[in-house]
Amino acid sequence: MAAFRYFSKKLLSSTLKTDIRAPVSNNYVVCVRLLSYTPMPYDGNPDPGPIFIKKEVQTLLTTLTRVDLAKVYRKRKLGGRQLEQPVYKFMTDEQLQEALDEAKRKVDEILQIPPVVAVRKPRDKVVSRDPALQGLDSSNYIFTDISYGVPDSERIILVRDTEGTLRDADWATRDRINQMYFPVARRQVTPPKMFEDDKLDDLLKRGEYNFILDRACLQFEPNDEFYQKVCSVTYQHINENNKFEDIRSTRHFGSFAFFIAWHKMIDNLLLDLIESEHIDEANALVELYAQLHGEKFRGNSIEEYIGKFSTKKAALELALQAYKNAAKQKHALEEGIKRAHGLN
Amino acid sequence: MASQLLHVTRTLSKLTLNTKCRVTNTLIKLERELPKQPLFNHASRNTNFFNKMPAEDLWKGITTVSNAGKKRGRGKTVSKKNIKDLNRGQIIGVGKANMLWPGLTAPVIRGKEIVEQQQLPEDPERQARLNQLRDQMGTHRHAKLSPIERGWSGAKMPGRSIGPPDPVGEDHFDGFDTKVLELKTVFNMKGNFGRKRRVSATVITGNKNGLVGFANGKGVEPRTAMRKAKNRSAQKLMHIKIFRNHTVYHDFFTQFAATKIYVWQKPEGYGLECHRAIKTICEVVGIKDLHAKVEGSTNVTYVMKAFLLGLVRQKTHQEIAEEKKLHLVEFTKETGCFPTVLASPAQCRKEDQLGKDEILDFTQYCFDGKVILKKKKYPPFYTKLKSYETYLKKQEKLRNKDKVKLDLIAQYGEIRSFLTEKYPECRPFRRAKKEEEQEAEA
Repeated sequence: MAAFRYFSKKLLSSTLKTDIRAPVSNNYVVCVRLLSYTPMPYDGNPDPGPIFIKKEVQTLLTTLTRVDLAKVYRKRKLGGRQLEQPVYKFMTDEQLQEALDEAKRKVDEILQIPPVVAVRKPRDKVVSRDPALQGLDSSNYIFTDISYGVPDSERIILVRDTEGTLRDADWATRDRINQMYFPVARRQVTPPKMFEDDKLDDLLKRGEYNFILDRACLQFEPNDEFYQKVCSVTYQHINENNKFEDIRSTRHFGSFAFFIAWHKMIDNLLLDLIESEHIDEANALVELYAQLHGEKFRGNSIEEYIGKFSTKKAALELALQAYKNAAKQKHALEEGIKRAHGLN
Repeated sequence: MASQLLHVTRTLSKLTLNTKCRVTNTLIKLERELPKQPLFNHASRNTNFFNKMPAEDLWKGITTVSNAGKKRGRGKTVSKKNIKDLNRGQIIGVGKANMLWPGLTAPVIRGKEIVEQQQLPEDPERQARLNQLRDQMGTHRHAKLSPIERGWSGAKMPGRSIGPPDPVGEDHFDGFDTKVLELKTVFNMKGNFGRKRRVSATVITGNKNGLVGFANGKGVEPRTAMRKAKNRSAQKLMHIKIFRNHTVYHDFFTQFAATKIYVWQKPEGYGLECHRAIKTICEVVGIKDLHAKVEGSTNVTYVMKAFLLGLVRQKTHQEIAEEKKLHLVEFTKETGCFPTVLASPAQCRKEDQLGKDEILDFTQYCFDGKVILKKKKYPPFYTKLKSYETYLKKQEKLRNKDKVKLDLIAQYGEIRSFLTEKYPECRPFRRAKKEEEQEAEA
């Protein structure tokens, strides 16, 4: 089996180079990046939102996340100058069970997947044109409705520019004004420098995926084009370097799985899952692929997927064969043990 | 003696006369001119202060003053600074003239040739070297200790490290370190000597991983006392439990005689906030984070004994859980308050089995029901002053200035305002860095 694994790895690495730029129709403005990845925002063609929110898809994504309590409740940096003294408690069995249940209940909240939606459309509605006001002032005026209870996305923010046109504020201005009047804790008015190309590249090289994705979640709205660009580049980096373990059991794994399934690049993850003998998750991944692209697999979905859509057929087939052999051996061993114990 | 000499010369001159060689006899003439009187009319002495005493005593006589003399105020001008041993650096046969003396400063035979006495060219640096040697004399200074090696106070020994204990046979004390806690002079009355002075040293040794031992040693010299104590301490090692390799297992109270110590467990990065003796002990034991408060006597030996007693009496979490027959669960903020079970008993009690006034609070349990008096902290006196109010009002507009400055520098690389674009010449003064200055000069 080790030999199989070795061959599959070799084959994978030989086919890797052709796979970096997956064929994606990207009719967006091509952003010149220093990074070796093309950013791939969801262009809303079709809209991923309704598919993402489907119950079946959500269940599949949760399965793929593979909840590990030790990782969900891992030690995090809280940003304070000093750590706080832990609280110790004496507990009976029931009290302990209750506390553990409470922690498990919180997992859903912690692992809530950031929504996958199409990029927001530019706002360019003109309310009125008053040429008489041309040259009244040298700067723009921004009018904001700051009454409570209005969501940030629906708040009325208008700009009277120096030409005298009263128009809807663009998204960048809206984000800035919203953050000024209704600040989100720890979000900055201007995006932090870590999202600039060279700095982001450095962070990716260091493998700080969770840091990038967490900070992007905090700083941007999910339908922000820049957010989706940052995330897509990070996802591609993770996918190419097989660093799935880094984001597993975090809230980002669902979005990541959705991204690679949407852009038809699940082969690396599939190979990883088969090799680590997580066949349920491999099935879920292929099922997710089928859901997103309207396919229907009958019988063994993994084999069918490899035959029809995979770009790394040889590697995947080898890995699957190795898994099957291992499973057969295991089964035979179990049978033998049972027989030896006089069962059956 | 002089007359005897004259007598001898006279006979010698007579002898020469007998050989019929006419030599002008000056000595005889001289004798006639001199009055017939002896040169010295008193008995001569060949011993004196300077050749009766050995050089060592002479040297001591001028460089030191006796204790009794000191009490009378003698030897006030005796200062080590002025005492210079001019013999130092000088070798017999080597001098200003730089002569070559075969058999003294050079071998008699070199190869097949016999070395002859000769004058070498003068060494101009010789005197300078001697002067330098003499200048250094009397200005001796202790080697400066690095702040890490330094003890509690100045050049004193307490708090300083004196290295691992000496190996016993084949047992080496690798990884051990010894620190001095106390070094003091003690006296004892002897039947024949009277007051006898010795030095007493209390040291603590440990391997920074839970093994620790302390001992007391006495000696005439501080060094011997410390050595004795150090080697004795290595024979009395005890084991101390350290929680997660950085702190104590739980808070505790400990007492030895009138010394009471409260000890609190602390998270990583807190450091050692306690009496300096406790800090030194912790460093040797391997405890990195802890807070301790000493109440009552701060006698170093007692503080040490009380603290070590407390450390030894610590219970592990498993022991606590077994004693209480309850799970011991930890909630930390960094792990999202996930209930981490530290220890579980073999048989856990049910809720209805808990006693009515049983202590269930962990801290209360650790202090054995003792409640620490925490005095109320009153606001400082100046908060009542009118000037403080004014100060606060003035400070209010500056409250986030440092953060804003930092943000501006991060964003624009300089401190600027909304007027910067209009008036680019108005920039805050910035002192050029050293490298930039050097570049500008070059």
